[in-house]
Amino acid sequence: MQTIGPGVGRIVLRPHGSEAVFSELSYAYPLKLLSPKVSQRNTAVVYVLSYGGGLVGGDQIKLSVEVHDGSSLVMLSQGSTKVFKTRPGHQLAQGQNLEMNDLTCQHFDIEVSPGSSVFLLPDPVTCFRSAKYNQVQKFRLSGDASAVLLDWITSGRKSLGEEWVFNRYYSLNELWVDGKRIARDAMLLEEEIPIQSVPTRTLADRLQPYSCYATVLMYGPLTQAISRTLTAEFEAISVFKQHTRPSLIWSISPISEGEGCVLRVAAGESEDVRRWLGRALRPLEGIIGMDIYRRAFA
Amino acid sequence: MDEEEAYILLLLSDGNLPTGSFVASAGLESYATHGFLTAGGPSGSINDKLLAITEFVRDSVMTYARSAVPFLSDAHREVQRHLDAAPVDQDAESTLRILVALDDLYEATTLNHVARRASRSQGVALLTLYSKGFSQPPLPDQPSSDIDARAGVASTLIDKLKLVVRREDTPGHLPICWGVLTAALGLSVERSQFLHLFLHARGSLSAAVRMNVIGPYAAQQLLLHTIRPLVIAEAEHCRHLRTGLRQLSAGSDQVPLFDEDVMTEGGPAMTWPLGEILASRHDLQHSRIFNS
Repeated sequence: MQTIGPGVGRIVLRPHGSEAVFSELSYAYPLKLLSPKVSQRNTAVVYVLSYGGGLVGGDQIKLSVEVHDGSSLVMLSQGSTKVFKTRPGHQLAQGQNLEMNDLTCQHFDIEVSPGSSVFLLPDPVTCFRSAKYNQVQKFRLSGDASAVLLDWITSGRKSLGEEWVFNRYYSLNELWVDGKRIARDAMLLEEEIPIQSVPTRTLADRLQPYSCYATVLMYGPLTQAISRTLTAEFEAISVFKQHTRPSLIWSISPISEGEGCVLRVAAGESEDVRRWLGRALRPLEGIIGMDIYRRAFA
Repeated sequence: MDEEEAYILLLLSDGNLPTGSFVASAGLESYATHGFLTAGGPSGSINDKLLAITEFVRDSVMTYARSAVPFLSDAHREVQRHLDAAPVDQDAESTLRILVALDDLYEATTLNHVARRASRSQGVALLTLYSKGFSQPPLPDQPSSDIDARAGVASTLIDKLKLVVRREDTPGHLPICWGVLTAALGLSVERSQFLHLFLHARGSLSAAVRMNVIGPYAAQQLLLHTIRPLVIAEAEHCRHLRTGLRQLSAGSDQVPLFDEDVMTEGGPAMTWPLGEILASRHDLQHSRIFNS
């Protein structure tokens, strides 16, 4: 087996008979990929994990994925992706850049061929105090491929009083279809630079009263029914003047003339967001199978 | 700042300019309807309201600046270069192609449909404003000067851009059109950035006055004292932000490309997900006075 750099992984999925088979599944520390056996036709599941259940400053995950010829891939995590704070002086992996050693990066590049589909349904990211996290997820779809991408973040370890106290969180999700970038969802969360003679407004002030924010990007024929249902549900809402902020709030916007959509949800507790998503995305059960769906939203 | 630039600034900061901004609240109306201005209780004091409005403007200016200023700056730079090259290089096609690429990228980046709609209509209004309101009036028998030549090139470019927008080949978003307009009028990129953010902040305060949340005196007071340092800080912070558009040689036939590394590390980004959700819910309000 050829050696690969730290944190690098590669997944290639193809149909074989009625099964989806990994023609390649490789990974290197601290990345770990596990693929449990599932019974859903032409569908495979992969758990994207890290050793020790979290990422630390300096970790760089670089995962490339190809889904071919009508197969379906479901990508999950096991518990939230924890990004630990910078550990000054921790041992660097070989070849790591010293200056970058406090930044944690996770980079997914996912190619989906015509008729194939990918469902990225991880648990939320939790950045601990002072963590710096950079996440890039690029989906390149061809023809009538479909994709669902869930990206969510919690405010931190609330039990330890951590509420939006990480150093920096940058998340970029891109959807390319036939070589054209049709959606670029870039979110940067960090404390603002102090302004002289102006009281500080913290990141927590800006994001309150919610402790969890989720974004779902959907595109392609397999997502049309969910997208239509949610849009109809959304448009039926009529908001009268409220005097208190809602405990959960969501929105949906079409992208690329309704070929796709972006769904956003925020709530006070991440479990409320999970429950809401579990209900909203339930039609996926019919595509990836009930067992797999429950793994994602159990 | 020379007198000419000061004059243009006065013109552009006129609240009566027909730019359609008076029907935009940039999400403030939805913010208020969803109970975010009255978080301290419905019977909050005037100070609570001023504070709540200030917080909205602060978060709104920040997220808008980080998402839009890079586009404004790149569009301004491209048009300025086009005008500087005139009349040697009067081929507007390569400049147009770059502007369309920026516009497409802004469309892909602006994922909230209400903001997208408002940005398109205000962008198109700016192009119309230039060709109907700011282009040279036709005066017979006047010898043409270099300034006229430059203005002529600008008019041609903007007319062509307008045509592309009308054919719906490109959306015509506000930050791009603002960059084009201000470059055509000879405003420096720094003034253009600053004025754009100032107008965004002032627009929110005007909306607050129309919504009867604060009075017109309080709005002026906030704008002069409380909001000023916020706009200054944000303009300073975003001065050097760019989209990642590659520098192409003038008249280049290449398709404009973006530097993916710049886009991945520090490209335009939204900083206020709550604002996105609330702004996207604008049309759900049972009664509303604004379009966004």
